[in-house]
Amino acid sequence: MNEVSQTLTQPGTAQTNWFEFAKRHRSLLASIFVLVFPLIMPFTALAVNILIYGLYALGFNLLFGYLGLLSFGHAALFGTGAYLAGIAIVHFALPWYAAIAIGVLGGVVMAAAIGGLAIRTRGIYFAMVTMALSQCVYYLFYQAVDWTGGENGLRGINVRDINIFGLKFDFIDPMTRYYVVAAFVILAFFVLSRILASPFGAVIEAVRENEARARASGYNVMLTRLVTFILSGAFCGLAGALAALHLSIVPIEIMHYETSGMAVMMSLLGGMGTFFGPFVGAAVYLLLENLVSLWTVHWQLIVGAIFVICVLFFPAGIWGTILKRMKQ
Amino acid sequence: MTKRNGSKLISRRRLLTTASAGAVLAASPFRINLLQAQEATIKVGFPVPLTGPYGTEAQDQVRAAQVAIEEFNEGGGLNGRKAELLVRDDKLNPGEAATRTLELIEKEKVNFVVGSLSAAVQLAVNNITKERKVIFNSISQSDTINEASDFSRYTFHEALNPHLTAGAVGRYAFPKFGKKVAFLTADYAYGHEMVRGFQAAGKAFGVETLVDIRHPLGMTDFSALLPRIQALKPDILCISNFGRDQQIALKQATDFGMKKSMKIVAPVLLYTGRVAAGAQAFDGVIGGTSYYWGIEDKIASAKAFNDRFRKMHSGKVPSDYGALGYGGVRTLLEGAKAAGSLDPDKVIEAVEALKYDYYKGPQYYRKCDHQSVQSVLIIESKATPQKGDADVFNVIETEAPNDANLRSCEALGHKA
Repeated sequence: MNEVSQTLTQPGTAQTNWFEFAKRHRSLLASIFVLVFPLIMPFTALAVNILIYGLYALGFNLLFGYLGLLSFGHAALFGTGAYLAGIAIVHFALPWYAAIAIGVLGGVVMAAAIGGLAIRTRGIYFAMVTMALSQCVYYLFYQAVDWTGGENGLRGINVRDINIFGLKFDFIDPMTRYYVVAAFVILAFFVLSRILASPFGAVIEAVRENEARARASGYNVMLTRLVTFILSGAFCGLAGALAALHLSIVPIEIMHYETSGMAVMMSLLGGMGTFFGPFVGAAVYLLLENLVSLWTVHWQLIVGAIFVICVLFFPAGIWGTILKRMKQ
Repeated sequence: MTKRNGSKLISRRRLLTTASAGAVLAASPFRINLLQAQEATIKVGFPVPLTGPYGTEAQDQVRAAQVAIEEFNEGGGLNGRKAELLVRDDKLNPGEAATRTLELIEKEKVNFVVGSLSAAVQLAVNNITKERKVIFNSISQSDTINEASDFSRYTFHEALNPHLTAGAVGRYAFPKFGKKVAFLTADYAYGHEMVRGFQAAGKAFGVETLVDIRHPLGMTDFSALLPRIQALKPDILCISNFGRDQQIALKQATDFGMKKSMKIVAPVLLYTGRVAAGAQAFDGVIGGTSYYWGIEDKIASAKAFNDRFRKMHSGKVPSDYGALGYGGVRTLLEGAKAAGSLDPDKVIEAVEALKYDYYKGPQYYRKCDHQSVQSVLIIESKATPQKGDADVFNVIETEAPNDANLRSCEALGHKA
């Protein structure tokens, strides 16, 4: 009680100052965390996966948490980024950075195509339309066997050396791989933070809170939605391209609607509409899966029960709940 | 006084937590890691889909691989260096399998990787291992892994491939039952490769394909497709699907009375599938397999393997895919023994030179694509088991190991 009244009457106390500071420098703090993250992980490949899926969920959360649109088709954006980056390396022997650029571009183009069609709908209809469209994309890539390997998946995305300003890095080395991926994730943190802090970011949240009022205030709601969807596609495309480089394969499963569901689950688990929440969600989701499956073949039962508990007792997500507690 | 009581309480609680943590640790698989965490062990990574539709097969593969490890260790290991098996669940997902393989190589520093139970998964694992120069022995069917684009000298393939399996069944069935053939195929790589194998073998007999009906995975109702096949009056119906799809298709074909007018064959008849679905659905169906425990009457190595397996796993017999887990692990360990070293290049040479008979008769790895040249068993489902519940198949013919039944090295893109 004492604390509450303190924050209410004296907004300038040390505690809130610290919180405000953290909020302002959220991308910097997140970046520092990412840099020390592999040290506390059971193995590096998992840490890289968490980064990649964290980024994927981050992109998804821009649409879901900040704009309030639930998409069930983000696997198409993630998968297009992965496949195009992979194809650039396997079929055109392009350098790795060009592959990443093409992956991001792929995510953007796919988001523009799906978004252009789906953005007119709302709520459950939006979820259904995006899911249907992403299934179309799934079959498109599944059937293009010569390009994507079809059922067998795309193999041979083998990146050995990475040259940055004359410095040579061995991409096979797990730690190098982690920090190369981390560099892109950190870049994404800053870009996302900038978007959210901009006037456009405020419009995004205005549309979520009250669409009619936003429209009445003179904002173009449709355009805001489409642009947000495309930005979300850019983040997911980047995540996909990094996934292709990391695992050196792209399995067709990446396009499956289960992958779309994963983004929803990770966002909810971490805390929708929070900056760092999706990342926490991805970490918890993948860590649980990996650790429990080492211990028992009935891991799905245990992980499922934990998810149910999380949804029941932390409706704001793990990170969301922590933020709430700190605010008080 | 109260303070004392309090501290006593805490210490008791701490005692309880420590004890329970200890108990959990003792019961968990980490214990094995703690006890065996010596530099000297030979580590064999084993990613298989313990959960999901092929879980039964995968768990049997683990059991069989444990037999190979125990045998190796009892035989003194490699100059006293013991082997250990590191099992990982790949969830039948290539991405997960790739991550787990990275873990096994980068963190556990495994010497070999053996495993996988799907074409896509084995290609994913293979891509990781060949980049890092770790020997990988695949124990599930795929034609693609033999091809020059995916193969590397670190790749071995202990399992059969669709070309060989379907070919063997075709070579048995076509001259006996007729030339007009209909296909019912699961629409994915496994099904397509099997049909290609049948058709390649059929060329020599002038076989005519009446129809190739493709169905999606996880089909539960074939009643719309089966009458179309019946109307064409084929001599043979080839059912190229797997697992539960196979069980349902066979059950419904039986109910439709199709067995009266045509012979039903399947490239792979699964032991576990037959045990689950019962005798009636599989009655009179002919298919191929890499291994059936019943060959122990004739083959001494099978007898020895089965006995060992029964002893370790409370009287169970190994399944077809299970036995591959044994073969896949044992060839690499024997190779290491013969090479007297774990250096991949030396082990590869030693494994290439092996002429082995570990569980199903003579086998060897072909030089160009490291495909295990081995026998294919043609089996027929038994109407009534005589020797217990596990007695489900008759081995009606054994196709001897023959290089000529595989696709040639040139056709696969390898330079001679």
